[in-house]
Amino acid sequence: VVDQLRLWQLENERMRTTGGFLFKDFDTPQDYAAVSGYAEEIGVLVWKSDRKQMFFASKHEQLRDYLKSRKKAE
Amino acid sequence: MPRAIRGVLIECEPAIKSIIVHLDSKNNDFIIEDLDEQHLVIKENMVFLLKQKLEERLKETYRPEEPLADSD
Repeated sequence: VVDQLRLWQLENERMRTTGGFLFKDFDTPQDYAAVSGYAEEIGVLVWKSDRKQMFFASKHEQLRDYLKSRKKAE
Repeated sequence: MPRAIRGVLIECEPAIKSIIVHLDSKNNDFIIEDLDEQHLVIKENMVFLLKQKLEERLKETYRPEEPLADSD
């Protein structure tokens, strides 16, 4: 049992999990930059890659609203 | 329009990540997106199973030394 506990701790230390949403397939680099920037601003950005034009956010409601308002403004 | 795919971001060392990629390679039932050396997104409902499988794998490779006999 002690060994199992130790293994579990070992694994938890070596791996972190965060629930949320992967944002991908942006129409333009400008869209990606704006939305990922907004995600960072409101504190929901967990990971991003400018090269892949993808990011991971812990929440999506505000980002969805932001995207809609951007599309309307075009 | 971009897509928002629900999932769980895994952040781990490259050695652990390569085990996950290997586990996924049989049925492609864990990974949604392979992001980089230390990040990937997996299906939300597979997290528990993945942890179980990882633990099994770590048990196979991680062998603690035998406890020392009392020699005093």
